Amino acid sequence: MNKLKVHQLGTVVLALACMGVGTSGAAEISLPPVPTDPSQLPARQLVSFACSKCHGVSGNGVSISPIFPILAGQNAVYIEGQLKLLRQRGRADPHARAFMWGISRGLSDEEISDLATYFESQPAVTGKPSNNPALAAKGKEIYENGVEEPKVVKCAQCHGDVGAGTNNVPRLAGQHKGYIALQLHYYHTGVRENKLMNRNVKNITDDQIEAVTEYISTLTP
Amino acid sequence: MLVARPALAIPPFARQTGLACEACHTLPPELTPFGRRFKLNGYVLTTRPPLVNDIDDKKDNTLWLTDLPGIAVLAQMNYSHYNRAPPDTGQPYPAHAQSDTYQFPDQFSLAYAGAVSDHVGAWMQLTYNGQSGSVGVDNIDIRYTDHTLDNQWVWGITANNYLTFQDVWNGIGSYTIPNFNTVSLYNNGVAGAGTTGPILNALGPGVVGGIGAYVFFNDSLYFEVSEYHSAVPGGASPVVDSVSLAANGGALDRFAPYARIAYERDWGYHSAEIGASALYANWIPSNGYVSRQQQAAAALAGNTYTPSQTFNPGAIERYTDLSVDWQYQYNGQHNIFGLLGHVTHERQQNSDQLVAATFTGSTPSGSAIYTNPTDTLTQFLITGEYFRDRHYGGLVSFTRTTGTYDPLAYGGNGSPANQYETFELDYVPWLNVRFLLQYDVYQVVANNQSPFNLSNANFPNSPGFTNIRAGNNNTWVLGLWMDY
Repeated sequence: MNKLKVHQLGTVVLALACMGVGTSGAAEISLPPVPTDPSQLPARQLVSFACSKCHGVSGNGVSISPIFPILAGQNAVYIEGQLKLLRQRGRADPHARAFMWGISRGLSDEEISDLATYFESQPAVTGKPSNNPALAAKGKEIYENGVEEPKVVKCAQCHGDVGAGTNNVPRLAGQHKGYIALQLHYYHTGVRENKLMNRNVKNITDDQIEAVTEYISTLTP
Repeated sequence: MLVARPALAIPPFARQTGLACEACHTLPPELTPFGRRFKLNGYVLTTRPPLVNDIDDKKDNTLWLTDLPGIAVLAQMNYSHYNRAPPDTGQPYPAHAQSDTYQFPDQFSLAYAGAVSDHVGAWMQLTYNGQSGSVGVDNIDIRYTDHTLDNQWVWGITANNYLTFQDVWNGIGSYTIPNFNTVSLYNNGVAGAGTTGPILNALGPGVVGGIGAYVFFNDSLYFEVSEYHSAVPGGASPVVDSVSLAANGGALDRFAPYARIAYERDWGYHSAEIGASALYANWIPSNGYVSRQQQAAAALAGNTYTPSQTFNPGAIERYTDLSVDWQYQYNGQHNIFGLLGHVTHERQQNSDQLVAATFTGSTPSGSAIYTNPTDTLTQFLITGEYFRDRHYGGLVSFTRTTGTYDPLAYGGNGSPANQYETFELDYVPWLNVRFLLQYDVYQVVANNQSPFNLSNANFPNSPGFTNIRAGNNNTWVLGLWMDY
């Protein structure tokens, strides 16, 4: 039997109470599932039905196009937080609006949690050696030490030396270079709002974005 | 025959999925990789919870209705200006028609589009066509689909009324350029035979209905087999086949098999496809006759005709179309580029009854309609598109058609050739509103295709139209497309 949503369960309990039935009997009542509401499908089916169309067709969370982030191995807490933010339309960058505002609108908290756990459990993508070692070295400097003037905060401070992130700090290692570059651009311009990141990359230049993303693409935790 | 262009994009899909148009489209109607998978999966992806839902004892869905049906209004208007005023077919030379036409609307459609159940989706469109001045059933595609959990296999059944409308790549058939329903001199009513092209492009609403099955394997390999039948509104075939024949200048005889194979590979921002398709169709011309019994009777009589007969029993044009198509897309963060097209080769075998050398009977026009027992036609089309930030875009398209000379079919020296380019600039202030400026430039418009060609039977009283050039057909088009 499919899991009932919290508010539905409340309604059942309330109805039973009104009928004079003790709540202890509620566990024995079997209500028909609602199998075709996408918001109530088990996470794996939800991935197959919806997420996989952009984030990796087989459901492995590895997208092909850098327009869509790789979710495989991403920190569950971060995914969960972002999905909730997208559901409440708290992220306003163009692709969030175009894709995720709609896709996330029917997700329950439980599904979001399941999806986050699912994608975190998928094998992460490993970094690849850079074709431009000089650029990667420049990026490594920015990643590990930041830029003094004008100030750009070092990425490693939160995302870790190998880009693994933690909890609500996203994993960067294995992510599409193009995706990270676009997000940095959005943070820089304020299109994607995050007080910390907006401040950290306020002064970042296009050249620095190119360098640091080149380095990040080589990272493997 | 006059068929509407496929609608460019459908807002109900956006309402159903919560996705912006750009999720599925580059420059509509071109589909992104996501859009292709949405269509292959039967338009059923939805993020709207059902308002009404019922299941049976096996927990299978028996009813699934959203709170809002996927209804759309689509409208196209255009203003066209021709380089030279065409001759007025209703009057003797030197009468001329106006050199401008304002189609308001050019097309106006109501459509249902979206999920019907968890495995069935539909696109059904009713259109007022400004050129024909009538309302009719337009594009229909109804699908049943399913897929494995890992999407390794996606399969489906499609019932549709427009050969190639079901396709998810845009290089062939109904998606040929220009996508906007341009009112060229060919099709605005003063033309002769109309532009030549393979029958693969022309079997549309009001002419055929078909059913097909497809599989999409490993997110890359597509295979489809379909078959099409004559399906003419207002004619209860086979009782009144003559209605079908008259309405469309002919009708399909029995079934026309169609097969399609395509391979797609996506990497990074890139998506590339190469495909091939084949169609075998028996077409009964308007002076033919469709009944199998009639054909058999005629064969017994040696394909001779009784004096009162107005149709040619057993007269068939047998088409074999082979097409290779391709599409390349770059779907970048800001820039979108596309290169697509096809080469289609058509072999047309004409029954003895239709060919001059072997013509034995009488027809309504009193003569044979083909010079050759076998004609061929080859069409090459290539289009490049560019779209910047989903606001500004344009395309350049080149089409060239050549074939065997058949004076009875095409008039004059018998060449079916045409060659033209379409240049288009697009401004898309909102994704459901599109302004376009188009210029169609013609280098070759052979024989009956051109309304300026006075060998055309439309102008029997004209002494001659001077300075005929293909460029006379050049057309400026200012268009507006919108839907909601």
